Amino acid sequence: MANVTFSKVNKMYGSSRIVSDLDLELPDGSFTVMVGPSGCGKSTSLRMLAGLEPITSGEIKIGERVVTDLEPKDRDIAMVFQNYALYPHLSVRENIAFPLRATKTPRALALKRADEVADSLGLAHLAARKPKDLSGGQQQRVAIGRAIIRQPSVFLFDEPLSNLDAKLRVETRTELLQIQRRLGITSLYVTHDQEEAMTLSDRIIVMREGQIAQQGTPLEVYSRPTSTFVAEFVGSPKMNLIDGGIERGIFTSDSGIRLETQEIGATGLVTLGIRPDDLLISSSPEPTLSLATVELIELLGPRAIVTLRAHDRVLTSVVGAAQLANVREGSIVGLSVRKNSSHLFDQASGSRLP
Amino acid sequence: MTFKLGMLAPLIALLVLIVGFPLAYALYLSVTDYKLTDRGTPGFVGIDNFLSTLTNVDFWEAFGTTVLYVVMAVGAEVVLGLAIALALQKQKWAKDLTRSMLLAPMFITPIAVGLTFRFLLNDQIGAIPAMLRGIGISYDFFGPGRALMTLAAIDAWQWTPFMVLLLLAGLESIPKQPLEAARVDGGSAWYVFRRVTFPLLSPVLVIAVLLRALDALKVFEYVFATTRGGPGTETQTIQYFTYQTGIQFFRLGEASSMAFVLLAIVLTLIILTFRRIERGRAA
Amino acid sequence: MRKPKLLSVLRITLLWVAAIFVIVPLAWITLASFKTPQELNDPGLVLFTPNFDSWASVLSSGILDAAYRSLVVGLVTVGISIVVGGMGAYAISKYKAGGSVTRFGILAAQVLPPAVLVFPFLTMAYALRLNDTLVPVIFAHLSFVLPVVTWFLIGFFDAVPPALEEQARVDGFSRFRAFVLVVLPQVLPGIGAAAIFGFTLSWNDMFYGLILAPGNAAILPVAISGFNTFRGVQLGAMSAAILIAVVPVVIASFFIQRKLVQGISGGAVKS
Repeated sequence: MANVTFSKVNKMYGSSRIVSDLDLELPDGSFTVMVGPSGCGKSTSLRMLAGLEPITSGEIKIGERVVTDLEPKDRDIAMVFQNYALYPHLSVRENIAFPLRATKTPRALALKRADEVADSLGLAHLAARKPKDLSGGQQQRVAIGRAIIRQPSVFLFDEPLSNLDAKLRVETRTELLQIQRRLGITSLYVTHDQEEAMTLSDRIIVMREGQIAQQGTPLEVYSRPTSTFVAEFVGSPKMNLIDGGIERGIFTSDSGIRLETQEIGATGLVTLGIRPDDLLISSSPEPTLSLATVELIELLGPRAIVTLRAHDRVLTSVVGAAQLANVREGSIVGLSVRKNSSHLFDQASGSRLP
Repeated sequence: MTFKLGMLAPLIALLVLIVGFPLAYALYLSVTDYKLTDRGTPGFVGIDNFLSTLTNVDFWEAFGTTVLYVVMAVGAEVVLGLAIALALQKQKWAKDLTRSMLLAPMFITPIAVGLTFRFLLNDQIGAIPAMLRGIGISYDFFGPGRALMTLAAIDAWQWTPFMVLLLLAGLESIPKQPLEAARVDGGSAWYVFRRVTFPLLSPVLVIAVLLRALDALKVFEYVFATTRGGPGTETQTIQYFTYQTGIQFFRLGEASSMAFVLLAIVLTLIILTFRRIERGRAA
Repeated sequence: MRKPKLLSVLRITLLWVAAIFVIVPLAWITLASFKTPQELNDPGLVLFTPNFDSWASVLSSGILDAAYRSLVVGLVTVGISIVVGGMGAYAISKYKAGGSVTRFGILAAQVLPPAVLVFPFLTMAYALRLNDTLVPVIFAHLSFVLPVVTWFLIGFFDAVPPALEEQARVDGFSRFRAFVLVVLPQVLPGIGAAAIFGFTLSWNDMFYGLILAPGNAAILPVAISGFNTFRGVQLGAMSAAILIAVVPVVIASFFIQRKLVQGISGGAVKS
């Protein structure tokens, strides 16, 4: 049990900077997800914490211990890799027991503990099998079992669910969260999938070009993104971002879309962000509203994603299926924004306007 | 990083000791008049050895003989190797046994192969000439004008399996989709082979031919076991000629210069081949 | 559907003919080793009472000592090659940097004509009074076994996912123990195949042996070639000696045939 601290951590590959001046604090027992597009430095950060990549400058602490120059074996961590990295020559039981060999645990005791762990993960009947005879989901569980057997101070996960199919991914996600809650071990989880990040974490860290773009609870990051980058990256479908001017609450885009917002205070050039859920359409538009043509309707059970075209701009709206009674592809609809739910960003820097 | 160097250092040190140093020493020998029978310090003769090698009619005759040998042997190995590799690839029944058996000759020590054939093909006591006599043919395998062909055939017996091995590895790494696509498109077996399999296999084929040609250039054991260069000097190959110069006539300086001329030829061959591969990739 | 049938008849015929070509010389040698000198003059003779004189004379001729020397040379050469080449191959496979120079050096060593290296080995052996001993033969054999073994092992190490070793290091093992406990078991079959292949290369070489140790320390191929001078009289004994050299490697080849295809495609063919 320990908190993890990164202080001014840098990582260079030759002259290119992969991670720059990273300051990070993972509270004891928290589950933090690091998310970002590929090449943003998230995996490198994880591997630096594991000790698999030397850091160029800065300091990493686990608890009160500085681990910057320690070998991975001395850091008291466990890690689950993307392709599970199960040892092909060992059985399921031996794989799970393997980390205990490093601590010189007597073999019989180690195997007994491995059986308990396998049992708790529903792997008991597979204990004697070799990894190649397991399904993807089963391999994943073995990898998790191997990580929890030692009860380390920190768990590291490097995109552990990306090789599973969609259904299994959701199940395993829930299970992982339950295990982490039960053991209360500080965890850092890296993924490029923002949906996974939103559902799993206590805390989410969005990375961009080796720096933290935003961190906070998933709700904070979703509802108050600090930049257009985070706004676009988090949430699905993507947030609509429109450049234009605002005056006394009325936003007019460069292409001519007019929308009413509650942002009375703001004036001048801005980027307006509207979540698809907050972009409302009406089949009997009032004359003051901007109009849009419905290009595509994708039904997702009770809800539907509607692709709209207004003044040569493509916008996305998510609405309840019931609201689509009089709307079909080709219909003209009116646009409006849900009250108090628009986001304003600086056009030049992309950062959030207060 | 020290871990990496520690792992690599013994290999590099050993390679320098057993390849680098002898190579430098051979270069030194090639510019001296060193003889194995001399006790004194060998004298420096500059490029005299190279000049005498390059102007030595016997050397160039041996060179021509070797080239002819390589062309005949490797040519036969390519044709046979390709046919057998294609046949083996489809073989399901007793797969491992068939493969092991057909690959066996390449594991036999070449001197044993040479001696076996020397007597198998011997005019008086060999089984093959006896069989041929039985159907009324009299053929002296080691007679004038035939001996070199026989040697090439022995080479093909032993080393076609090597060609098969490489081509089989190549065939098995060809992706299935292009083959299936060609078959769906209605191509005949011949068409699929010529238009799909062969082009995909050709990089492996080039490397296989190169490896075999380099190895065949060094032919020594068969000559030593069977003809010892005869009849006349018909089967005197470069490696055998060098061996005679260095060991039977003790002229190490001259022999070393011959070895270097051969090395130069070998390197030219390699560079030319790689150029062709590069060009093939660019096109 | 007539054409595919014709093709498969051709295919099977070809394999049978090839098999007969491979077997006949070996079978003939085997028969010859059990014939008396008189019977040897009748090449068509297939059914006869086996005679063990040839085997008795060859076994008492010191051929077993030569085989023992070949075994020693092969084992020492392969042992050094596996340890030194294995360490180097792992470093080259894992840390790509510097690899291309080393890889080129390895290939270059492979194409050198033996005639280039043999005379330096010989003069050095004379200078150190080691001529006609196994020491220069072992060094000479290393010059062609070490590169091949290293080349094969690079391919086998390349096939081990780096995550396995990283996982072991995170699981609490030192770099070296991770290598021994996790990486090594993955390449063990490959190491076995490379070792057997390297051994056959050493076992089969005559050129270096003939020049560096032609007398008291003759290795097996050199000893076999010694029967050559006596012509027909010794044919039976020579056949037996050939079989002593051939049978072990042919049996060994059976076990590595599949790995060999993999080793070649991992190393030479793909690059």
